[in-house]
Amino acid sequence: MGTENPATAKQIHTAPSAALTALKGYWKSVRDLAQVIFASPTAVIGLTLVILWVLIAVFAPLITTHTPFEQDYKLVNKGPSALHLFGTDDLGRDVWARVAYGARTILLLGPLSVLVAFACGVALGLPAGYYQGWVDEVVMRILDAFMAFPAILLYMIIISAVGASSFNVVIAIAIGGTPGIARLVRALTMDIRTREYVAAAKLCGEPDIIIMLREILPNCRGPLIVDFLLRIGYAAFYIGTLGFLGLGLPPPTPDWGGMVQEGHSHMTTNVWPVLCATLAIVTLVIGLNMFADGLREETMRYQ
Amino acid sequence: MEEKKVHPLVDEAQSALAKGQISRREFLRISTLLGVSLTSANILAACGVTTPTATAVPATAAPTAVPTPTAPAIPRGGVLNVACRVERVSDPAQFSLVSASHPWRHVFEYLTHTDPQGITHPYLLDSWKASDDLLTWTLVLKQGIKFNNGQELTADDVVFNIKRWLDPNTKSSMLSAMSYMDGSGVEKTDKYTVTLHLKNPTIFLPDNLGQYQAAIVPATFGGDITKEPIGTGPFTMVEYVATERAHLKARADYWQMGVDGKPLPYLDEIVMVMLGEDQAAYVSALQSGQVDTILEPTVSTWEAVKDDKRFTIVSTPTAATRVLRLRVDQEPWTKNEVRQALKYCHNREKILQLALQGQGVIGNDTHVTQANPEYAKLDPLPFDTAKSKALLAQAGYPDGVTVELTVASDWPESMAYAQALKEDAAAGGFTINLKTMPASQYWNGWTDFNMGITWWAHRTQALITLGLAYTGDADGKPGAWNESHWVDAEFSQILTEATGTLDLDARKAFALQLEKIQQDRGSICSPFFMDVWKIYTTKVHGVEPSPDEYAIFTETSKEA
Repeated sequence: MGTENPATAKQIHTAPSAALTALKGYWKSVRDLAQVIFASPTAVIGLTLVILWVLIAVFAPLITTHTPFEQDYKLVNKGPSALHLFGTDDLGRDVWARVAYGARTILLLGPLSVLVAFACGVALGLPAGYYQGWVDEVVMRILDAFMAFPAILLYMIIISAVGASSFNVVIAIAIGGTPGIARLVRALTMDIRTREYVAAAKLCGEPDIIIMLREILPNCRGPLIVDFLLRIGYAAFYIGTLGFLGLGLPPPTPDWGGMVQEGHSHMTTNVWPVLCATLAIVTLVIGLNMFADGLREETMRYQ
Repeated sequence: MEEKKVHPLVDEAQSALAKGQISRREFLRISTLLGVSLTSANILAACGVTTPTATAVPATAAPTAVPTPTAPAIPRGGVLNVACRVERVSDPAQFSLVSASHPWRHVFEYLTHTDPQGITHPYLLDSWKASDDLLTWTLVLKQGIKFNNGQELTADDVVFNIKRWLDPNTKSSMLSAMSYMDGSGVEKTDKYTVTLHLKNPTIFLPDNLGQYQAAIVPATFGGDITKEPIGTGPFTMVEYVATERAHLKARADYWQMGVDGKPLPYLDEIVMVMLGEDQAAYVSALQSGQVDTILEPTVSTWEAVKDDKRFTIVSTPTAATRVLRLRVDQEPWTKNEVRQALKYCHNREKILQLALQGQGVIGNDTHVTQANPEYAKLDPLPFDTAKSKALLAQAGYPDGVTVELTVASDWPESMAYAQALKEDAAAGGFTINLKTMPASQYWNGWTDFNMGITWWAHRTQALITLGLAYTGDADGKPGAWNESHWVDAEFSQILTEATGTLDLDARKAFALQLEKIQQDRGSICSPFFMDVWKIYTTKVHGVEPSPDEYAIFTETSKEA
């Protein structure tokens, strides 16, 4: 007990340098990623648009003069003024405030719904691609059945059945996105499972679940990250569409699609709510798509 | 010509007119409801206190116009293109939307017709007569009216229809509307005469016979008008595709004549198209000349075309409203304090402005308004959120209450109302979560929601609406349209008395009691009553304004 264990001492001695190495590793990854992004003008423009909306969402209370819910019935459907930067909607609410707070809604629900869809897609696609055989057949046929429905119709069926709410919109988009993600993960898994390092892991006796999660999944990350970004764009678009169809977030939640829906019947007299909400959806979706496209181009070049 | 004594109540009404207790318009309404022709009623009104005898001059001037040498030439022919809803329908007695009747009222007609001034005329009827105690009504049909299959309209058809309406198995709202009688009281007197024996007196029978559910079908009717479009109307249905289009063609042998002495209608065809649920599409169609008129335009449609000289816009105040109704048999609305608290959360001026851009009048949580003759002024409850909180605390909700309000997302007035209330009621202790759904889905469960905002059409007589929506059967079970399940014994009793009361002042006094009961312990909030519009191109003429939003194109013409 009196003598110090040399191994422990060595561990203590080497711990700071291991952390430093890890930090350096992360920093290198970030630098590599930045290099990839900045190599593509498309990705830079896309990222700028996305960051702009993220900043608007984060600082919404600071950059607006009204809350998105305040109604002024004496100032209904008015154009831009000193008091209301982009005018007011049909309930006398500040259009800019609703757009800014609407960014929070869409930037929260979009990634969240895609994350849920990814969790489900990976859970189904990995074993299907890894085991193949009957597991693959069963999983894929079920997912094919889902894919037979046009996405928007599937969302409408789900929302009509369970009602419109933030949670249900996330679930609907997750269910709609799962089959596509599962197919992608399955295809990547079928490729990667034939690599030597997977065979080596098998030889070492690692259980299948570990092989799938440690060896295969991390090596799928390139295409998956690109797909993730693209899907956030689609999700933003679908959240807007559901809002426009009256199946989105229940009012008075600031929701860009809902703004278009509410404002479009007054378009001939006041175009501002529809114009602002539409531009917001367009810029965010284009931003996400450009970012993803730029990333894809660059990563493919490296491959 | 046989001479008949007028109903004694007409004498009373005439005296009331002479004393200035009722208006001339009200006198005309009462007299015509009691079977006096409009011509005779006008003479009676002009004669002051003298009581002349009313003759059996056939009917109040029916809609048929009398040809005059100076009458301007009315163009014949042409197709009227209409943008409106084309509902999925089967049995007209089960109609629950005015829009369901739009195409079909040109094929099937009604025994009576209430004009925009609220005066009820015989239509398929030639005349009617009420007994002194208002318990026996004799309906006399016009002779020679034929269905479009050549068969003549007779008393058998009328008996068949009225018995159908009053049969609970038909599931018609006419059963509630005509709760003053049952099927056993319908009797055929001769080929063209039907006698109705009522359980309770009413003067609104002729009004009820003109309701949009009361389309007259032949006695051979099997239950689906799309399969048997056999009516007496001026058009025949050529094609009917629910939710898409209705195509109607003029009959050559219609029973009413135009001002040129030839049979109506003036138009050759009517094409009604449904352009979805989106009013913007309807406005675009109108502005681009694709259609000549839009039926049931919303306030945003009015806003879009109100200054456009290419259109004729006729505005009419009505008793149409969006009723926020509360299921009194479900929590938390079983407690009147909670219902009252919600009423105090209404900033009515704001709601009227946001929902209708001020195009209407403020309501007082009753279903009676200025557009109803029996309306008695009753100030609305003030906007007082402190009072609301106190009432909620009294009801056992000191920390407020969370409720779910169901709204149809394609009714802009309802959506605006719901959102304004949600914001204002928060200070009064209500957390209102909005549940939105398409209108079609709302109608599927409109009587089931705990709290919902329902579209209610105009009816000239508020008492008819009250009978439909706020009464029950003999056992106190809510009627088919009693969506709030609110049945109040005192209210029902006063309503029955009011329905059998001719004297307008007395009826107003009854109405005031009814309004007070509804405001004090009723199941609805009604913050506004709406104006409605007829909007059509200036090429179109002869469109009758209708507070009921009925589409009546029998005498409509269109310039080439």
